[in-house]
Amino acid sequence: MPGPAAILFYLLGTTIVLLVVLLVRGSLTATPAGKILAFLAFCALPILCGFWGLNEHLERSKQTAFCLSCHIMEPYGRSLYADDPMYIPAAHFQNHRIPAEEACYTCHTDYAMYGTIRVKLHGLRHIFVQYFGTPMNPIHLYDPYNNRECLHCHAGARSFENATHLALLDQIKANQLSCVSSGCHGAIHNAVSIGTVKLWRPQE
Amino acid sequence: MNNGGPKFSRSFHLSGALLIIGLCIEAISLNWIHPIAFLAFFVLSGAFLAVGILLYLYSIIFRPSPTNPPPR
Repeated sequence: MPGPAAILFYLLGTTIVLLVVLLVRGSLTATPAGKILAFLAFCALPILCGFWGLNEHLERSKQTAFCLSCHIMEPYGRSLYADDPMYIPAAHFQNHRIPAEEACYTCHTDYAMYGTIRVKLHGLRHIFVQYFGTPMNPIHLYDPYNNRECLHCHAGARSFENATHLALLDQIKANQLSCVSSGCHGAIHNAVSIGTVKLWRPQE
Repeated sequence: MNNGGPKFSRSFHLSGALLIIGLCIEAISLNWIHPIAFLAFFVLSGAFLAVGILLYLYSIIFRPSPTNPPPR
């Protein structure tokens, strides 16, 4: 069965063919049926294609390949292959604790109401800065990393329920103590020094 | 489209051309996973589609009807 993207391509093709036919044979729109066909081709189908395309682009923008398509993100992508279990993003990515195809989005989205929209607006800001401004060097998050993103998966998990976490749970939930603090899970992307780290090579 | 005068025919054809260009840009942008593809879709394709649809709606709303008698 064809996927949504394939169906969208069929729909785009059909709409273009309909438009060409109606432009070449304008007399077709003289009848009531022709007027309905023209309304479909000139209004209903393009609106459907537009919104479907927007949805498809938003889904694609969640892909790891999309985030890493910018040159500036290269070291962050490489850090996902660090051959060191202390690297938190690498451990999550390599062991499929998060979907490997949506690795960046899964950890860097905002698990709150309208979080996806906020993240996508941040993405538009990234694009603006990349092409019309000067990107930060090294790049960093707009806001400190929120523990909510970790707890979205880890809260209630058996592996999370150890004495250390339980003793600090209130501080962790209140964001007074960051999960990625030095001494806790501080080894994150470390993009600056990733060139010196041994990388994992997947077998497939 | 020959039943609404030359002005209507012109906006009808222009609307169709804009829509075809917009849909083609959308199809091309969907073949590329990159922020520029998203921008091309959002800005270019969106603009062509919006103007094309509005022009079509404008042309059918303000189309001179051949069956109505002219106002006295």
